[in-house]
Amino acid sequence: MNDFIRPIPSIIDLYEEGDLNGLNISELGQYLEEKTHIPFRIQGNIYKGISKGNIQVVAEKLAKVRVRDPARRYVSRIPLQAEVDYEKRRIQDPDWKIFGILYDGVFYQNIISDLISECGLDLGDCSILFTNQLFGTWDKNNRRYHARVSLYGFPSLISISGLVVAPAKPKEFYLKKQMGAPVEWLMEEYQGRFLDRGDSRTTEVLKGYAMQGLFFHLTGDPFCEDRDCRLFNSHWQEEVLHSQMGGKHEFCPWHETILKRVIG
Amino acid sequence: MTQSLEGEGREGGGVKMEGGERKSAVDNMAQKKHIFTPVSEKEVTRAIVDGFARQFIEYVESDCLIIGGGPSGLMAGRDIALKGVKTLIVERNNYIGGGFWIGGYLMNKVTVREPGQKVLEELGIPYEKAVKGLYVADGPHACSKLIAAACDAGVKFANMTIFDDVVLREGNRVCGAVVNWTPVNALPREITCVDPIALEAKFVVDSTGHDACVVKKLEERGFLKTAGFGAMWVDQSEDLVVEHTGEAHPGLIVTGMAVATTYGLPRMGPTFGAMLLSGRKGAQVILEKLKKK
Repeated sequence: MNDFIRPIPSIIDLYEEGDLNGLNISELGQYLEEKTHIPFRIQGNIYKGISKGNIQVVAEKLAKVRVRDPARRYVSRIPLQAEVDYEKRRIQDPDWKIFGILYDGVFYQNIISDLISECGLDLGDCSILFTNQLFGTWDKNNRRYHARVSLYGFPSLISISGLVVAPAKPKEFYLKKQMGAPVEWLMEEYQGRFLDRGDSRTTEVLKGYAMQGLFFHLTGDPFCEDRDCRLFNSHWQEEVLHSQMGGKHEFCPWHETILKRVIG
Repeated sequence: MTQSLEGEGREGGGVKMEGGERKSAVDNMAQKKHIFTPVSEKEVTRAIVDGFARQFIEYVESDCLIIGGGPSGLMAGRDIALKGVKTLIVERNNYIGGGFWIGGYLMNKVTVREPGQKVLEELGIPYEKAVKGLYVADGPHACSKLIAAACDAGVKFANMTIFDDVVLREGNRVCGAVVNWTPVNALPREITCVDPIALEAKFVVDSTGHDACVVKKLEERGFLKTAGFGAMWVDQSEDLVVEHTGEAHPGLIVTGMAVATTYGLPRMGPTFGAMLLSGRKGAQVILEKLKKK
């Protein structure tokens, strides 16, 4: 049963990491404010407050939390110089476009949490980082990492790259790919049935994920079992598009009630 | 090659001469001037040994020793040799070019994604657009042009030569490679008493593809830890390979797919733009470091 486990935050802080092509963060913030009456603040690039002397330290931390083998659980190791250099370049470029390295989401979240705390901000407020980087979490059942769209916590992480690669595309896409069909052709054939990079639907879809982050903050449970509710935990692209843009209602009656309580 | 024509001739092999005289075709040929200048077998052998030995002696020490003659190694070699850097490429196969002769599934069309086609243009390799941002070229044409470009720039090759180990100096800096003939490697060590030899260089490049042979040797000695490559993901792997190209250990530059193995980057499909651009970036790193030296 969902109920409040924390006070309603006085503000929602939205952070950015890398090139967030397709996401209109101010529109998303306005949506959150409209739904919750909690004001939002766009904090900008998560790395903007790092002093020059600290770049190396943060770069080393980030290089350390790379998942080197998705089939093996993360173990700490000394990163190679080129990995640290890569992270340094990434930290210093707010429009960094490249992604594809899989990071351990939990450790990544710790690094971001430290960065926010160092800026003197209160983690009691709801903080959400939108990133173009990819993170995953270890699944102890099938013993491998899985890329994720979001990882809720303090702060919550939402990945626009994860949104493209983590929820599965239609089954036929993979079957045809396995038969040798070129990916470019399949992308064209199934266009519209999944989200692609820079997709015009990104902002709309991520509004629901941001709401999941807020619900996690309030109740400890970000998800809903109703596939027509924006809090539905989608595993397929078609579920993402349905719950975020094609559901019978925006939020199920239960979550609507909670929202009303947030508004007061 | 010379051949005695004396006493040769065959029945029925004559030609009708003016005045009714018959003469064998061979006799006729013998009377004509040779197409090729006559030289003896021993002179041919001497020429091969002398040419090879002179080059080998000269390149026992070079500025840059590239292990692996695939597209990234060739590209790196070509770019640095153009700047006057003394470069030797060691290739374990008889042929140079690695996987650049063919694309996926043994089909001899190679693809590059934008901006890789700019390198094709620069090397004079014809290509055509496949879809937006993707270009396709003939593998044999692309590969032979790249090899020729490296040769024209002054790169020398030691093919049928296999990397065996690294040469390390102060501070465990890589400053050469131990090599042997490739066929020796194919024989059981117990019965092949053929010791390898060492080549020295200011920089060594590992462009041995997924095997990352040089990096793996350093890993065996505990100097670094590779990750192996992840799942195939063309879209991102190319960018990441270029981004991670550089010095992985003092004196060792890593290019091409060896980069993916070293850093655990996603595996690349049959698209070669990153191989060319990684080779180019490796060359830039070497040139900068040589300047500092």
